[in-house]
Amino acid sequence: MTSSAIRVLIADDQQMVRQGFSVLLNTQPDIDVVGQAVHGLDAVAKVAELGPDIVLMDIRMPELGGIEATRRIITEHPHIKVLVLTTFDLDEYVYDALHAGASGFLLKDASADQLAEAVRVVAAGDALLAPGVMRRLITEFSRLRGSAPRAPLKERVADLTERETEVLAHIAQGLSNAEIAERLIVAEQTVKTHVGRILVKLGLRDRTQAAVFAYESGLVRPSGY
Amino acid sequence: MEKRLTRWLRVLREDLWTADANPLPPSVWLRWLPHGLVILVAIGTAIADMDQLGDGYNLGTETGLLIAVAQGTAVGLAPWRPVPAWWLSTVAVVVSAMGARTQLIAGHAEFNSPWPWSPPAMVAQCVVLYLLALRVPTRAAAETLALTALATYILQGLIGSANYSSTGMLAVALFGGVVLLGSTQRGRREARTQLVEQAGITAEERARRTLLEERSRIARELHDVVAHHMSVISIQAQVAPHLTENPSEELKENLAGIRQNAVEALTELRRVLGVLRSEHPEDQYGIAGAADGTAPHAPQPTLDRLGALVENTRAAGLAVTVEISGEVHPFPPGVELSAYRIIQEALSNALRHAPGSNVRVELDHYPRGLQVRVINSRPARPAPPSPGAGHGLLGMRERATMLGGTLMATETSHGGFVVAAFLPRSDDPSGSHISTGTTGKTATGKTATGKTATGTTGTPATGTTGTTGTTGTTGEKAR
Repeated sequence: MTSSAIRVLIADDQQMVRQGFSVLLNTQPDIDVVGQAVHGLDAVAKVAELGPDIVLMDIRMPELGGIEATRRIITEHPHIKVLVLTTFDLDEYVYDALHAGASGFLLKDASADQLAEAVRVVAAGDALLAPGVMRRLITEFSRLRGSAPRAPLKERVADLTERETEVLAHIAQGLSNAEIAERLIVAEQTVKTHVGRILVKLGLRDRTQAAVFAYESGLVRPSGY
Repeated sequence: MEKRLTRWLRVLREDLWTADANPLPPSVWLRWLPHGLVILVAIGTAIADMDQLGDGYNLGTETGLLIAVAQGTAVGLAPWRPVPAWWLSTVAVVVSAMGARTQLIAGHAEFNSPWPWSPPAMVAQCVVLYLLALRVPTRAAAETLALTALATYILQGLIGSANYSSTGMLAVALFGGVVLLGSTQRGRREARTQLVEQAGITAEERARRTLLEERSRIARELHDVVAHHMSVISIQAQVAPHLTENPSEELKENLAGIRQNAVEALTELRRVLGVLRSEHPEDQYGIAGAADGTAPHAPQPTLDRLGALVENTRAAGLAVTVEISGEVHPFPPGVELSAYRIIQEALSNALRHAPGSNVRVELDHYPRGLQVRVINSRPARPAPPSPGAGHGLLGMRERATMLGGTLMATETSHGGFVVAAFLPRSDDPSGSHISTGTTGKTATGKTATGKTATGTTGTPATGTTGTTGTTGTTGEKAR
């Protein structure tokens, strides 16, 4: 099990937070905290040095903020996933972080279980983190910034097959691959294939980005939150 | 002797060969001057009218006196009650014209007398109409003019008389002229008053909005700091049981309670704050954006970033010196943040309003609080006018007040400016600095004993290099 443990790097300027998350995550047999970074630049360097699977990234840090660090890390290492740590969930910074390529976000006061679960979900990549909050976040901020469903994004939706569009909509609703398979009455493997195709066709790196795309293109209408 | 004479002559020339004079003293007499003039005109027209009516129209002394007094009264009344004055004047003219008509036709009046408007009556009506047009809406003024013209037409055009030289056309033309003049002046004054009023409203509105924005921004910053601490508390409460071998149930329960309270407080804070933050608060400051050097995703600054701020202000062209006195204890982050922001704003003001001046930043640490003073000398050159003046001061004062402190900003006797603020350590003097001290201690203690210290080879003793300002270790580190 240890050999396949999820390798985590924690980047936060506060020693308390780094320490705390390390202790909590290290109690999990399948998660291994391999390093800590004290600011954005440090995080970029440590990622190159340690090659973690997941980076827990604070947003407000000296030297280099978490959002820019996320952007750099993802550009250099597309397979590494970033989970943003935040005090407020409905925060513009979180929205920016998602745009910078973060796979999800986590409140700093999350329980130990939520923390571990979030790391696992993001590492596996087959479900969304906190889809409800994310939907609200994306819709509110894309509205706040006056970017109505953008035409170019809509055109790209046209590249998808009908089935793929359907799967994308389900992704945006926060359903996992297994749940989507159940809904569409197909094998989970089929859903995985669809997801893979969607990401390739739209040029996206993971399902979080796919969900952001679905909302911002207007494919999915926010309802009843 | 001759010299003295020359001097006298020079004095005389200086004193008397000049057009200069001090402005008139503001006096009650002067204020009533226009009214006095009107009264003089009233008396003048009354006398002239009496002459015209009594002799010219041959109406007899009593009737002439009566109508002349009425005409004079109308003029005298005009500055106070223009509309009744107009009625009185018009009626007087109609009555006198009707009386004169009989005498003219009968040939008792002076041959070729001006009729229906006698010259004194015309002057009187002109004064009345002008004063009226100044004071009443244009429509009312036009109505009085129309009625006057109508009365003239009825008298001269419909009723008619004999043996007179016509003054109807001339009178109506004159009246039209003065009403136009009066109404125009009134309209211009109205417009100006409205403009001034509107400007006043806009300024007030803007000031109020600025105040509200300022408040919410400050509140947000302070809440940020608090929320941040709450998160750390919730994390620590979760971590604590993992740090001992066999934590007792009571301990676990207690820690769970702490965590739960922290989480609830955070939930409340999120609700209060309404979140959805659509602006970067740091960007609003002039030099700040440049001086922070770490915009928008940097942590809220504390006093340990003062050096960088001063350095950047120097680079922007001010000679800044810093004096720190008193025994340095770390202050609660809210206080440090506010002190930093106040200094930042004061420096940016100095840059804006006192280019090329010398600035002294003084920080006095007292057990009960922090005294901040930013003093700049007289500007080396006149500052360019800047529109947003005053809002910065407002913000500084809000910050100080929110912390229960005070702020004073005033010009110095040397032509410079001083901003002085006192920020109390906290409302409860036994409170926060002790608790922050403990936090600092726990932090170092845990680094030594924590299990991760061995596991994380990549981060040797990095704990103290970060901006741990908010945990209370900044003070010791910065000095």
